Amino acid sequence: METTARGVRLKQAFSHNAIWIVLIALIAIITIVDSNFLSLLSLKDIAVQSSTRLIIALGAAFVLITAGVDLSAGRVVGLTAVVSASMLQIPEYGNRFFPDLPQLWAVIPIVIAIAVGFAVGLVNGFIVAKFNVPPFIATLGTMVAVFGANSLYFDMEPNNSQPIAGLRDDFTVIGSGTLDLGSFSLPYIILIAIAVSFIVWIIFNKTELGKNMYAIGGNIQAAHVSGINVAKNILWIYAIAGALYGLAGVLEAARTGGASNSYGNMYELDAIAACVVGGVSTTGGVGRVKGIIAGVLIFTVINYGLTFIGINPNWQLIIKGLIIVVAVAFDIRKYVAKK
Amino acid sequence: MRKIISGLVIGALAVTAVACSSNDGGGNSLPKTGVAIYKFDDTFMSSVRSAITSAAEGKIAVDIVDSQNSQPTQNDKVDLFVSKKMKAMAINPVDRTAAGVIIDKAKKAKIPVVFLNREPLADDLAKWDKAYFVGAKAEESGSMEGQILVDYWNANPDMDKNGDGILQYVMLKGEPGHQDAELRTKHSVLAIEEAGIKVEKLAEDTAMWDRVKGQEKMAAFIAANGDKIEAVIANNDDMALGAIEALKAAGYFKDDKFMPVVGVDATDPAMQALKDGTLLGTVLNDAENQGKATVELMKVLAAGETPTKDNTGYEITEGKYVWIPYQKVTQK
Repeated sequence: METTARGVRLKQAFSHNAIWIVLIALIAIITIVDSNFLSLLSLKDIAVQSSTRLIIALGAAFVLITAGVDLSAGRVVGLTAVVSASMLQIPEYGNRFFPDLPQLWAVIPIVIAIAVGFAVGLVNGFIVAKFNVPPFIATLGTMVAVFGANSLYFDMEPNNSQPIAGLRDDFTVIGSGTLDLGSFSLPYIILIAIAVSFIVWIIFNKTELGKNMYAIGGNIQAAHVSGINVAKNILWIYAIAGALYGLAGVLEAARTGGASNSYGNMYELDAIAACVVGGVSTTGGVGRVKGIIAGVLIFTVINYGLTFIGINPNWQLIIKGLIIVVAVAFDIRKYVAKK
Repeated sequence: MRKIISGLVIGALAVTAVACSSNDGGGNSLPKTGVAIYKFDDTFMSSVRSAITSAAEGKIAVDIVDSQNSQPTQNDKVDLFVSKKMKAMAINPVDRTAAGVIIDKAKKAKIPVVFLNREPLADDLAKWDKAYFVGAKAEESGSMEGQILVDYWNANPDMDKNGDGILQYVMLKGEPGHQDAELRTKHSVLAIEEAGIKVEKLAEDTAMWDRVKGQEKMAAFIAANGDKIEAVIANNDDMALGAIEALKAAGYFKDDKFMPVVGVDATDPAMQALKDGTLLGTVLNDAENQGKATVELMKVLAAGETPTKDNTGYEITEGKYVWIPYQKVTQK
């Protein structure tokens, strides 16, 4: 009797932490192939490369938990990367986007870019909440339109679709600067990702909006009946998601020291994959910040680790695909068992 | 609600119609020509596009369209050119092997066609005497990248950090299977070997022509190989600049710690990096002359004449090819 109870508990512990076990197994396999992998430098690289992806995934998670999906994420990242970079070039740069723009306080373009993301999110939310367009279609529309708008902006005279570079140091420092603690240096971008995760955790777990989000995703009719203003909550959720993509776009520009309209292409799929692998249910109502962090880390470890040990890039794609399917199959079994 | 939506849709359509018709207006007397670019947001092709627009002024009316990196879309655009009765067209193929089908369409409609930047297979081009190609020899860009590194190696003995007489490099490749990616990868290394320098490949991965991916792959290369890397070869500037950002994060480009990085395209950001002393060199694919030669060829073809050096200003090789040479660009 007791042994079976323990067996069940063990099984539960395993399935609840399956994602972390997969992550550790991955790191272990890569380390066995090349023992140099397990170093502070690699782990820091992985954390840095996960930072913007995590912020996008958290945005995507807001929408996924309401049983929606946001396909515009990647293109919003591209738009806000270009918008922020276009206003933050050094005066000596040869081909400035705005040749006569004075040196703005770096915060201004950043806020503008995040506001642009927020606005696109509002449009998404509005289409979904007020016109009852399925989120897949609504955000497919904005995804295409946002790319068009970005390409128009990017193609303006005198830039003519040239990549934007020559970004100011006081801006790129956000993406590449570090907080030096003795011999250890902690990149700012990791701190930003941690701060954002913490804020999102609070929204998910401690606010009315978070509670409503889970309720809407769990059962939208029940949410209506229990007096939740579904439309208003959905509007806010898409807008917050948009603002997070906006922040991610700013960070991508700062991290790479440049931007072009191809930035962010297909990031929404990476974000959605990371979310579902991290236990966010595609049918809504379920998802935790901890899981999303693990989901994002898994994909970065695959990207980075397999490059580290020199695996053919085409195999990297196959492994990525396998992990998505296997993780979700595992996850679904968990919920099927519950019912 | 439905009324509002239909109102919006009609409004959008009306705006589009007005915008389109204003594009078509003017230049009635000039011969009409069509240009299909493989993808509008490609950095290099954007430069070619502006070169075409400015070179065409007063000579021909050009209708430039975006094939959105999709060969089926491009074929639809070619059909559009045929139904608009263009006098000549220039196609920048999405997929070079698709040129055969486009030549068939052009031949049937008797519209001379100039292929641009991506070279069709010789057999396809031979199908019709009014099919031409304007572009560069892709392998040349790779060889020049290699030569830039050879010059640097010869001038700076300490580039061979471990003193083993072998050049240890990492390679950032463009899209696998892309002609430019394959040829540049091969010929950049070949040029170094031909100069009598032994090479060793430490790592190679695709960064899909992309700056962000270039940076991320390079970070992994540095973590895996550390100071063993003696040179970075990238198939284009975007990836080279990404690699430079990763190198900066690893402490390069300050306190005399240098890494030779080479790219291709000579984009504006790359020229800035040359000035900053981070990028060692790049190779200029001459967008200006590719655009100009395309316009000159279309002008002559639209008038029903045969292009020659006299009426276009460009040497025509084998009656079909206009080769626009690459140029090396290095730190002063």
